[in-house]
Amino acid sequence: MADHLFHPDDAERCTGECSVSARLPAHVRERILEATFVCVARYGLAKTTVEDAARQARLSRATVYRHFPGGREQLVAEVVAWEAGRFFARLASAVEGAASFPELVEDALVFAHQAVEEHEVLQKILQTEPERLTTQLTIESGRLLALVRGFLFPYLAGERLRPGVEPSDAADYVARMLLSCISSGGGWDLTDREQVRRLVRTELLAGVVAEM
Amino acid sequence: MLVESYPISGQAVSDQVVSGGAAIRPEAGSPELRLVDATLRCISRWGVAKTTLDDVAREAGCSRATVYRVVPGGKEGLMELVARVEVGRFFAGIASRLERAEDLESLVVFGMAEAGRRIRTHAALRYLLAHEPEQIVPRLAFSHLDDVLAAASEFAEPWLVRWLSEPGEAAHAAEWITRLVLSYSICPADGMDIGDEQSVLGLVRTYVLPGLTASLQP
Repeated sequence: MADHLFHPDDAERCTGECSVSARLPAHVRERILEATFVCVARYGLAKTTVEDAARQARLSRATVYRHFPGGREQLVAEVVAWEAGRFFARLASAVEGAASFPELVEDALVFAHQAVEEHEVLQKILQTEPERLTTQLTIESGRLLALVRGFLFPYLAGERLRPGVEPSDAADYVARMLLSCISSGGGWDLTDREQVRRLVRTELLAGVVAEM
Repeated sequence: MLVESYPISGQAVSDQVVSGGAAIRPEAGSPELRLVDATLRCISRWGVAKTTLDDVAREAGCSRATVYRVVPGGKEGLMELVARVEVGRFFAGIASRLERAEDLESLVVFGMAEAGRRIRTHAALRYLLAHEPEQIVPRLAFSHLDDVLAAASEFAEPWLVRWLSEPGEAAHAAEWITRLVLSYSICPADGMDIGDEQSVLGLVRTYVLPGLTASLQP
Protein backbone atom coordinates (compact mmCIF):
# COMPACT_ATOMS: atom_id res chain seq x y z
CA MET A 1 0.00 0.00 0.00
CA ALA A 2 2.65 2.40 -1.10
CA ASP A 3 0.14 5.21 -1.48
CA HIS A 4 -0.41 5.28 2.25
CA LEU A 5 3.24 5.55 3.10
CA PHE A 6 3.34 9.09 1.93
CA HIS A 7 -0.06 10.52 1.32
CA PRO A 8 -0.13 13.93 -0.39
CA ASP A 9 -2.32 15.19 2.44
CA ASP A 10 0.51 14.49 4.88
CA ALA A 11 2.66 17.07 3.17
CA GLU A 12 -0.05 19.70 3.53
CA ARG A 13 -0.59 18.95 7.19
CA CYS A 14 3.09 18.87 8.02
CA THR A 15 5.07 21.84 9.14
CA GLY A 16 8.57 22.33 10.47
CA GLU A 17 10.06 19.16 11.90
CA CYS A 18 7.36 17.08 10.34
CA SER A 19 8.59 17.78 6.81
CA VAL A 20 11.90 16.29 7.88
CA SER A 21 10.18 13.11 9.05
CA ALA A 22 8.44 12.82 5.69
CA ARG A 23 11.88 12.32 4.12
CA LEU A 24 12.83 9.54 6.51
CA PRO A 25 12.73 5.97 5.15
CA ALA A 26 9.11 5.03 4.56
CA HIS A 27 9.58 1.36 5.41
CA VAL A 28 10.67 2.29 8.94
CA ARG A 29 7.62 4.46 9.35
CA GLU A 30 5.44 1.58 8.15
CA ARG A 31 7.18 -0.79 10.57
CA ILE A 32 6.49 1.57 13.47
CA LEU A 33 2.83 1.92 12.52
CA GLU A 34 2.43 -1.86 12.20
CA ALA A 35 3.99 -2.28 15.63
CA THR A 36 1.78 0.46 17.08
CA PHE A 37 -1.27 -1.28 15.68
CA VAL A 38 -0.27 -4.50 17.45
CA CYS A 39 0.14 -2.55 20.71
CA VAL A 40 -3.21 -0.80 20.31
CA ALA A 41 -4.87 -4.17 19.77
CA ARG A 42 -3.27 -5.36 23.00
CA TYR A 43 -3.42 -2.33 25.31
CA GLY A 44 -5.91 0.07 23.70
CA LEU A 45 -5.39 3.63 22.47
CA ALA A 46 -4.97 5.31 25.85
CA LYS A 47 -2.34 2.95 27.21
CA THR A 48 -0.13 2.47 24.18
CA THR A 49 3.15 4.32 24.70
CA VAL A 50 6.10 5.20 22.50
CA GLU A 51 8.14 2.65 24.48
CA ASP A 52 5.63 -0.11 23.65
CA ALA A 53 5.71 0.71 19.96
CA ALA A 54 9.51 0.93 19.92
CA ARG A 55 9.87 -2.42 21.70
CA GLN A 56 7.35 -4.10 19.40
CA ALA A 57 9.09 -2.67 16.32
CA ARG A 58 12.55 -3.54 17.71
CA LEU A 59 13.63 0.04 17.25
CA SER A 60 14.91 2.66 19.65
CA ARG A 61 12.62 5.26 21.16
CA ALA A 62 14.74 7.90 19.44
CA THR A 63 13.94 6.38 16.05
CA VAL A 64 10.23 6.40 16.79
CA TYR A 65 10.45 10.04 17.87
CA ARG A 66 12.35 10.91 14.72
CA HIS A 67 9.43 9.62 12.66
CA PHE A 68 6.74 10.84 15.03
CA PRO A 69 8.06 13.96 16.74
CA GLY A 70 4.65 14.46 18.35
CA GLY A 71 5.25 11.27 20.36
CA ARG A 72 2.40 9.21 21.74
CA GLU A 73 -0.37 11.55 20.62
CA GLN A 74 0.85 11.67 17.05
CA LEU A 75 1.52 7.95 16.96
CA VAL A 76 -1.99 7.08 18.13
CA ALA A 77 -3.60 9.60 15.77
CA GLU A 78 -1.62 8.33 12.82
CA VAL A 79 -2.20 4.66 13.53
CA VAL A 80 -5.96 5.27 13.36
CA ALA A 81 -5.54 7.03 10.01
CA TRP A 82 -3.17 4.30 8.83
CA GLU A 83 -5.56 1.46 9.66
CA ALA A 84 -8.46 3.38 8.11
CA GLY A 85 -6.33 3.66 4.96
CA ARG A 86 -5.65 -0.08 5.03
CA PHE A 87 -9.36 -0.74 5.57
CA PHE A 88 -10.31 1.21 2.46
CA ALA A 89 -7.52 -0.40 0.45
CA ARG A 90 -8.95 -3.82 1.37
CA LEU A 91 -12.38 -2.52 0.43
CA ALA A 92 -11.14 -1.27 -2.94
CA SER A 93 -9.63 -4.62 -3.84
CA ALA A 94 -12.68 -6.54 -2.60
CA VAL A 95 -14.98 -4.78 -5.06
CA GLU A 96 -12.70 -4.85 -8.10
CA GLY A 97 -14.62 -7.59 -9.87
CA ALA A 98 -18.06 -5.94 -9.83
CA ALA A 99 -19.93 -6.04 -13.15
CA SER A 100 -21.28 -2.49 -12.99
CA PHE A 101 -20.86 0.66 -10.92
CA PRO A 102 -24.11 0.18 -8.95
CA GLU A 103 -23.03 -3.38 -8.17
CA LEU A 104 -19.63 -2.13 -7.11
CA VAL A 105 -21.26 0.24 -4.63
CA GLU A 106 -23.48 -2.58 -3.35
CA ASP A 107 -20.45 -4.86 -2.94
CA ALA A 108 -18.58 -2.08 -1.15
CA LEU A 109 -21.38 -1.58 1.33
CA VAL A 110 -21.82 -5.28 2.06
CA PHE A 111 -18.08 -5.81 2.40
CA ALA A 112 -17.49 -2.73 4.56
CA HIS A 113 -20.38 -3.45 6.88
CA GLN A 114 -19.16 -6.99 7.45
CA ALA A 115 -15.56 -5.87 7.77
CA VAL A 116 -16.49 -3.34 10.46
CA GLU A 117 -18.45 -5.97 12.37
CA GLU A 118 -15.58 -8.45 12.13
CA HIS A 119 -12.77 -5.97 12.78
CA GLU A 120 -11.67 -7.21 16.18
CA VAL A 121 -9.50 -4.26 17.14
CA LEU A 122 -12.12 -1.74 16.02
CA GLN A 123 -14.89 -3.52 17.92
CA LYS A 124 -12.77 -3.88 21.03
CA ILE A 125 -11.92 -0.18 21.05
CA LEU A 126 -15.52 0.81 20.31
CA GLN A 127 -16.40 -1.05 23.50
CA THR A 128 -13.60 0.21 25.69
CA GLU A 129 -12.58 3.63 24.32
CA PRO A 130 -15.34 4.87 22.01
CA GLU A 131 -14.65 8.53 22.76
CA ARG A 132 -10.99 8.37 21.70
CA LEU A 133 -11.61 6.39 18.56
CA THR A 134 -14.65 8.20 17.22
CA THR A 135 -13.15 11.57 18.01
CA GLN A 136 -10.03 10.58 16.10
CA LEU A 137 -12.09 9.26 13.19
CA THR A 138 -14.07 12.50 13.11
CA ILE A 139 -10.87 14.55 13.06
CA GLU A 140 -9.80 12.31 10.20
CA SER A 141 -13.23 12.42 8.54
CA GLY A 142 -12.08 14.97 5.97
CA ARG A 143 -9.26 12.65 4.94
CA LEU A 144 -11.49 9.57 4.95
CA LEU A 145 -13.97 11.41 2.78
CA ALA A 146 -11.18 12.39 0.38
CA LEU A 147 -10.00 8.78 0.29
CA VAL A 148 -13.43 7.38 -0.62
CA ARG A 149 -14.07 10.26 -3.04
CA GLY A 150 -10.77 9.53 -4.76
CA PHE A 151 -11.69 5.87 -5.05
CA LEU A 152 -15.14 6.61 -6.53
CA PHE A 153 -14.17 9.41 -8.92
CA PRO A 154 -12.63 7.34 -11.75
CA TYR A 155 -15.67 5.06 -11.83
CA LEU A 156 -18.06 8.01 -11.90
CA ALA A 157 -16.02 9.73 -14.60
CA GLY A 158 -16.57 6.65 -16.75
CA GLU A 159 -20.32 6.36 -16.05
CA ARG A 160 -23.16 8.00 -17.90
CA LEU A 161 -24.49 10.39 -15.26
CA ARG A 162 -27.80 12.19 -15.04
CA PRO A 163 -27.93 15.59 -16.77
CA GLY A 164 -26.13 18.29 -14.80
CA VAL A 165 -24.33 15.87 -12.45
CA GLU A 166 -20.57 16.38 -12.24
CA PRO A 167 -18.40 13.34 -11.40
CA SER A 168 -16.51 15.18 -8.67
CA ASP A 169 -19.67 16.44 -6.92
CA ALA A 170 -21.26 13.02 -7.26
CA ALA A 171 -18.17 11.36 -5.80
CA ASP A 172 -18.42 13.63 -2.76
CA TYR A 173 -22.11 12.90 -2.28
CA VAL A 174 -21.79 9.12 -2.70
CA ALA A 175 -18.71 9.05 -0.44
CA ARG A 176 -20.65 10.81 2.36
CA MET A 177 -23.54 8.37 2.08
CA LEU A 178 -21.21 5.39 1.93
CA LEU A 179 -19.30 6.46 5.05
CA SER A 180 -22.52 7.13 6.95
CA CYS A 181 -24.00 3.76 5.95
CA ILE A 182 -20.78 1.94 6.83
CA SER A 183 -20.92 3.52 10.29
CA SER A 184 -24.56 2.52 10.77
CA GLY A 185 -27.13 0.84 8.56
CA GLY A 186 -30.00 2.40 10.49
CA GLY A 187 -33.25 0.87 9.25
CA TRP A 188 -31.49 -1.05 6.48
CA ASP A 189 -30.21 -4.58 7.01
CA LEU A 190 -26.84 -4.49 5.30
CA THR A 191 -26.49 -8.26 5.40
CA ASP A 192 -29.54 -8.56 3.15
CA ARG A 193 -28.41 -8.24 -0.46
CA GLU A 194 -31.87 -7.18 -1.68
CA GLN A 195 -32.10 -4.34 0.86
CA VAL A 196 -28.60 -3.16 -0.01
CA ARG A 197 -29.61 -3.15 -3.67
CA ARG A 198 -32.61 -0.94 -2.92
CA LEU A 199 -30.62 1.38 -0.67
CA VAL A 200 -27.90 1.87 -3.27
CA ARG A 201 -30.32 2.35 -6.16
CA THR A 202 -32.42 4.92 -4.33
CA GLU A 203 -30.46 6.89 -1.75
CA LEU A 204 -26.95 6.57 -3.12
CA LEU A 205 -27.29 6.51 -6.89
CA ALA A 206 -30.82 7.45 -8.05
CA GLY A 207 -29.73 11.06 -8.51
CA VAL A 208 -26.33 10.17 -9.91
CA VAL A 209 -26.33 7.45 -12.54
CA ALA A 210 -28.39 7.91 -15.73
CA GLU A 211 -29.42 4.29 -16.13
CA MET A 212 -29.27 1.35 -13.74
CA MET B 1 -37.01 6.79 24.82
CA LEU B 2 -35.05 6.90 28.03
CA VAL B 3 -31.37 6.26 27.86
CA GLU B 4 -29.14 4.82 30.56
CA SER B 5 -27.23 7.44 32.46
CA TYR B 6 -23.47 7.57 32.61
CA PRO B 7 -21.19 8.41 35.48
CA ILE B 8 -19.59 11.26 33.55
CA SER B 9 -21.98 14.13 33.24
CA GLY B 10 -20.88 15.12 29.76
CA GLN B 11 -21.68 11.67 28.55
CA ALA B 12 -25.22 12.08 29.78
CA VAL B 13 -25.58 15.21 27.64
CA SER B 14 -24.60 13.52 24.46
CA ASP B 15 -26.73 10.50 25.22
CA GLN B 16 -29.74 12.65 25.71
CA VAL B 17 -28.98 14.77 22.69
CA VAL B 18 -29.49 11.79 20.46
CA SER B 19 -32.72 10.62 22.01
CA GLY B 20 -35.48 12.74 20.57
CA GLY B 21 -38.08 10.98 22.67
CA ALA B 22 -36.48 12.35 25.82
CA ALA B 23 -37.10 15.92 24.72
CA ILE B 24 -38.82 18.16 27.24
CA ARG B 25 -40.06 21.74 27.04
CA PRO B 26 -40.24 23.65 30.31
CA GLU B 27 -42.43 26.76 30.37
CA ALA B 28 -40.94 30.02 29.18
CA GLY B 29 -39.56 31.99 32.12
CA SER B 30 -39.47 28.95 34.40
CA PRO B 31 -36.53 28.53 36.80
CA GLU B 32 -35.53 25.36 34.92
CA LEU B 33 -35.24 27.27 31.69
CA ARG B 34 -33.20 30.03 33.32
CA LEU B 35 -30.73 27.43 34.59
CA VAL B 36 -30.60 25.70 31.23
CA ASP B 37 -29.81 28.92 29.43
CA ALA B 38 -27.20 29.86 32.04
CA THR B 39 -25.57 26.43 31.62
CA LEU B 40 -25.53 26.79 27.85
CA ARG B 41 -23.74 30.14 28.18
CA CYS B 42 -21.15 28.51 30.45
CA ILE B 43 -20.64 25.58 28.06
CA SER B 44 -20.20 27.87 25.09
CA ARG B 45 -17.54 29.73 27.06
CA TRP B 46 -15.47 26.91 28.58
CA GLY B 47 -17.10 23.56 27.83
CA VAL B 48 -18.79 20.86 29.89
CA ALA B 49 -15.82 19.57 31.88
CA LYS B 50 -14.92 22.97 33.37
CA THR B 51 -18.46 24.17 34.07
CA THR B 52 -19.34 23.92 37.76
CA LEU B 53 -22.65 24.38 39.53
CA ASP B 54 -21.23 27.56 41.06
CA ASP B 55 -20.60 28.94 37.57
CA VAL B 56 -24.16 28.14 36.58
CA ALA B 57 -25.61 29.69 39.76
CA ARG B 58 -23.57 32.84 39.22
CA GLU B 59 -24.55 33.03 35.57
CA ALA B 60 -28.23 32.54 36.42
CA GLY B 61 -28.05 35.03 39.29
CA CYS B 62 -29.20 32.57 41.91
CA SER B 63 -27.68 30.56 44.75
CA ARG B 64 -26.11 27.14 44.50
CA ALA B 65 -28.89 25.88 46.78
CA THR B 66 -31.47 27.05 44.26
CA VAL B 67 -29.73 25.11 41.51
CA TYR B 68 -29.92 21.97 43.66
CA ARG B 69 -33.57 22.60 44.49
CA VAL B 70 -34.68 23.25 40.91
CA VAL B 71 -32.61 20.52 39.28
CA PRO B 72 -31.97 17.42 41.36
CA GLY B 73 -29.03 15.23 40.51
CA GLY B 74 -26.20 17.78 40.63
CA LYS B 75 -24.16 18.53 37.55
CA GLU B 76 -25.15 15.33 35.84
CA GLY B 77 -28.84 16.05 36.35
CA LEU B 78 -28.35 19.58 35.08
CA MET B 79 -26.52 18.47 31.95
CA GLU B 80 -29.21 15.92 31.27
CA LEU B 81 -31.89 18.60 31.61
CA VAL B 82 -29.93 20.88 29.25
CA ALA B 83 -29.68 18.15 26.64
CA ARG B 84 -33.35 17.28 26.85
CA VAL B 85 -34.43 20.90 26.61
CA GLU B 86 -32.12 21.50 23.66
CA VAL B 87 -33.42 18.43 21.83
CA GLY B 88 -36.94 19.73 22.46
CA ARG B 89 -36.04 23.17 21.09
CA PHE B 90 -34.28 21.62 18.12
CA PHE B 91 -37.24 19.52 17.05
CA ALA B 92 -39.80 22.22 17.90
CA GLY B 93 -37.87 24.71 15.75
CA ILE B 94 -37.78 22.30 12.84
CA ALA B 95 -41.46 21.46 13.26
CA SER B 96 -42.51 25.10 13.07
CA ARG B 97 -40.55 25.48 9.83
CA LEU B 98 -42.05 22.28 8.40
CA GLU B 99 -45.57 23.57 8.96
CA ARG B 100 -45.02 25.94 6.08
CA ALA B 101 -43.94 23.24 3.63
CA GLU B 102 -46.30 22.76 0.71
CA ASP B 103 -44.80 19.78 -1.07
CA LEU B 104 -42.23 17.04 -0.62
CA GLU B 105 -39.40 19.19 -1.96
CA SER B 106 -40.00 22.10 0.41
CA LEU B 107 -40.54 19.71 3.31
CA VAL B 108 -37.14 18.08 2.79
CA VAL B 109 -35.36 21.36 2.09
CA PHE B 110 -36.88 23.20 5.07
CA GLY B 111 -36.13 20.30 7.41
CA MET B 112 -32.51 19.87 6.33
CA ALA B 113 -31.68 23.57 6.25
CA GLU B 114 -33.37 24.30 9.59
CA ALA B 115 -31.58 21.37 11.24
CA GLY B 116 -28.28 22.40 9.65
CA ARG B 117 -28.72 26.03 10.66
CA ARG B 118 -29.56 25.09 14.23
CA ILE B 119 -26.52 22.82 14.51
CA ARG B 120 -24.20 25.38 12.96
CA THR B 121 -25.33 28.31 15.06
CA HIS B 122 -25.68 26.54 18.41
CA ALA B 123 -22.91 28.17 20.44
CA ALA B 124 -22.58 25.42 23.07
CA LEU B 125 -22.63 22.66 20.46
CA ARG B 126 -20.03 24.50 18.41
CA TYR B 127 -17.80 24.77 21.45
CA LEU B 128 -18.13 21.04 22.13
CA LEU B 129 -17.44 20.05 18.54
CA ALA B 130 -14.38 22.27 18.43
CA HIS B 131 -12.89 21.73 21.90
CA GLU B 132 -14.53 18.75 23.59
CA PRO B 133 -15.49 16.47 20.72
CA GLU B 134 -15.24 13.47 23.05
CA GLN B 135 -18.38 14.79 24.79
CA ILE B 136 -20.49 14.56 21.67
CA VAL B 137 -18.93 12.75 18.74
CA PRO B 138 -18.95 9.16 20.07
CA ARG B 139 -22.72 9.45 20.26
CA LEU B 140 -22.94 10.13 16.53
CA ALA B 141 -21.12 7.09 15.20
CA PHE B 142 -21.50 3.35 14.79
CA SER B 143 -24.19 1.82 17.03
CA HIS B 144 -24.98 5.25 18.49
CA LEU B 145 -25.65 6.61 15.02
CA ASP B 146 -28.43 4.01 14.95
CA ASP B 147 -30.03 5.80 17.92
CA VAL B 148 -29.70 9.21 16.29
CA LEU B 149 -31.21 7.92 13.07
CA ALA B 150 -34.05 6.29 15.00
CA ALA B 151 -34.83 9.49 16.92
CA ALA B 152 -34.74 11.62 13.78
CA SER B 153 -36.87 9.08 12.00
CA GLU B 154 -39.41 9.06 14.81
CA PHE B 155 -39.67 12.84 14.54
CA ALA B 156 -39.74 13.19 10.75
CA GLU B 157 -41.74 10.16 9.67
CA PRO B 158 -45.18 11.70 10.42
CA TRP B 159 -44.27 14.68 8.24
CA LEU B 160 -42.98 12.62 5.36
CA VAL B 161 -45.62 9.92 5.33
CA ARG B 162 -48.10 12.23 3.60
CA TRP B 163 -45.96 12.05 0.47
CA LEU B 164 -44.18 8.76 1.01
CA SER B 165 -46.76 6.18 1.84
CA GLU B 166 -45.05 2.91 0.94
CA PRO B 167 -44.33 0.94 4.14
CA GLY B 168 -41.01 2.01 5.62
CA GLU B 169 -40.41 4.63 2.97
CA ALA B 170 -40.91 7.71 5.16
CA ALA B 171 -38.70 6.25 7.89
CA HIS B 172 -35.90 5.51 5.42
CA ALA B 173 -36.21 9.01 3.96
CA ALA B 174 -35.97 10.56 7.42
CA GLU B 175 -32.77 8.63 8.11
CA TRP B 176 -31.35 9.57 4.73
CA ILE B 177 -31.93 13.27 5.40
CA THR B 178 -30.39 12.92 8.86
CA ARG B 179 -27.26 11.29 7.42
CA LEU B 180 -26.82 14.23 5.08
CA VAL B 181 -27.37 16.87 7.76
CA LEU B 182 -24.80 15.17 10.02
CA SER B 183 -22.26 14.64 7.27
CA TYR B 184 -22.36 18.23 6.01
CA SER B 185 -22.44 19.62 9.56
CA ILE B 186 -19.45 17.66 10.81
CA CYS B 187 -17.46 17.80 7.59
CA PRO B 188 -18.56 20.82 5.54
CA ALA B 189 -18.25 20.76 1.75
CA ASP B 190 -16.95 23.60 -0.39
CA GLY B 191 -19.76 25.67 -1.82
CA MET B 192 -22.42 23.89 0.18
CA ASP B 193 -24.02 25.49 3.24
CA ILE B 194 -26.20 22.93 4.99
CA GLY B 195 -27.92 25.75 6.91
CA ASP B 196 -28.94 27.63 3.76
CA GLU B 197 -32.15 26.72 1.94
CA GLN B 198 -30.89 27.72 -1.52
CA SER B 199 -27.78 25.65 -1.08
CA VAL B 200 -29.73 22.67 0.27
CA LEU B 201 -32.26 22.98 -2.55
CA GLY B 202 -29.56 22.20 -5.11
CA LEU B 203 -28.46 19.12 -3.18
CA VAL B 204 -32.00 17.89 -2.68
CA ARG B 205 -33.03 18.38 -6.32
CA THR B 206 -29.95 16.65 -7.63
CA TYR B 207 -29.47 13.73 -5.29
CA VAL B 208 -32.47 13.26 -3.01
CA LEU B 209 -35.68 13.85 -4.96
CA PRO B 210 -34.84 11.43 -7.79
CA GLY B 211 -34.54 8.64 -5.21
CA LEU B 212 -37.63 9.70 -3.30
CA THR B 213 -39.89 10.19 -6.26
CA ALA B 214 -38.84 6.98 -7.98
CA SER B 215 -41.56 5.27 -5.99
CA LEU B 216 -44.12 7.99 -6.78
CA GLN B 217 -43.98 7.13 -10.48
CA PRO B 218 -46.84 4.94 -11.65
